[in-house]
Amino acid sequence: MSLESKKKILVVDDDADFVESVSLFLEHNNFTVLKARDGSQGLKVARMEKPDLILMDVMMNERTEGFFTVQEMRRTPELAATPIFILSALYETQAGFRVKPQSSWLAHDEFIAKPVDMQALLEKIRARLGARQAAAFPAEGA
Amino acid sequence: MSEAAGTVVVIDDDYAMRLSCRKILEKTGFHVETFEDGIQGLEAIARLKPPLVVVDLKMPGMSGMEVIPRVRDIDPLIVVVVITGYATIDTAVEAMQNGAYDFLPKPFSPDELRLIVKRAMERHRLALESRQAEVERELMRRRFVTFVSHQLQTPLVAIHQYLDVLKQLDDSPEVQARRQEWFDRCLKRTEELQGIIKDWLTLSQLEGELARERVRVDLHQIVGDILATYEQMARAEGLTLENRLKENTCVVRGDRNCLSVLFDNLIVNAIKYNRPGGRVTVEGRAGNGEVFVSVQDTGIGIPEKYQAMIFDEFFRVKGEGAKTTTGTGLGLSICRRIAREVGGAVTVESQENVGSTFVVRLPAFREETAEARAAGGGL
Repeated sequence: MSLESKKKILVVDDDADFVESVSLFLEHNNFTVLKARDGSQGLKVARMEKPDLILMDVMMNERTEGFFTVQEMRRTPELAATPIFILSALYETQAGFRVKPQSSWLAHDEFIAKPVDMQALLEKIRARLGARQAAAFPAEGA
Repeated sequence: MSEAAGTVVVIDDDYAMRLSCRKILEKTGFHVETFEDGIQGLEAIARLKPPLVVVDLKMPGMSGMEVIPRVRDIDPLIVVVVITGYATIDTAVEAMQNGAYDFLPKPFSPDELRLIVKRAMERHRLALESRQAEVERELMRRRFVTFVSHQLQTPLVAIHQYLDVLKQLDDSPEVQARRQEWFDRCLKRTEELQGIIKDWLTLSQLEGELARERVRVDLHQIVGDILATYEQMARAEGLTLENRLKENTCVVRGDRNCLSVLFDNLIVNAIKYNRPGGRVTVEGRAGNGEVFVSVQDTGIGIPEKYQAMIFDEFFRVKGEGAKTTTGTGLGLSICRRIAREVGGAVTVESQENVGSTFVVRLPAFREETAEARAAGGGL
């Protein structure tokens, strides 16, 4: 596979161990992995590198740092359509932490619980990026 | 609750009584609304939510006794005072059992009315504060539980992911190259988890009112014991530990275990955040009924913007690589809590790349009188 077709995934998470294991797995599956340690670094890297997909932890230094970072990303035109998967060790149903998947103020694409099932993550990533690839070539008559 | 904190609702079928209450209380600065029967009164109470209601027990139609529980239904914090025509204890007691705060037998003087109203208002204010405090406490508890849960999950998730990838990509050269390092990381994160649990238990025990001893404790000995246990670890890092405390100088009254935990946490930090060849020095002085013990290191220091926050639960200054952030984030909050319990405090002075000095101030040991012993206090 030529270098051009390698998709770029940005991983934003403050736990270096988590980033390391997930990165290696994704790189093994032929993705280029970019890393960021917190929301603001994630934003900077995303604006510069325009990744094809972003994995973002929801709670880093602050309780809702991930969410605010997603909002900021959506305000950036180049990132408005980038698929963002939110990762969290806390589950959707936990009291005090409810995320409605299609919240209008939080335009993320997937909510994934940690620890992450790597195979399932891989399939979701491929499905999302595959779909985008197909959209680049509009179907006839569309 | 009504913004008019000085509003009193008076319910009495007797016009003269309503007028008299209004005159007396308006003179004291209260805003007064009067009603001649329970129904009208309750309607107003529901609307105004006043802090205080004065109601006559004997009225045609709805009696004062029937009004009381309905007021409590509207808001249990509204204080009710009943005016009784029959100064019989039974009626008054029944009213109090139904929720009235106090009773005023007729005839009463203006001063008697004012005094009861003053006490009732104070009672209301305290009840409000206590309810607010409870709400805050509940919010904090929930936030804390979420926080703790996240703190415990984080190392577990890291370990899980490493193991999962090790398993799935067992034969890949990149993983083979990293195997040993990853095993070490898993072990480190396990220790981190154990540390969090241990600190969490310590905090819980401090929260609880487990019987703690209140004996004479010479900090020279406590510190000496702690430094001895870390002698080997320090030597491995090339660090020098020094106990400059003199015997019988820094003596306090307290629980030996708690004081050990306090200084253990400070000394461990001083060792952990130090540099090779550095020093950890403990010294102290006493004066003015107080004892000051400082734990000084020659380490990386704490940036000024974080110095106020380091005693907060779970706060940790993130190192340049997150891997260097060890510890549970609870140690210093435990220190602060132990010190505060005896009326002391822990403060810090620090300069980046020079070092930090943590100073523990504690009340000095004093022989106790029998009364002080009975009253309890200190740890």
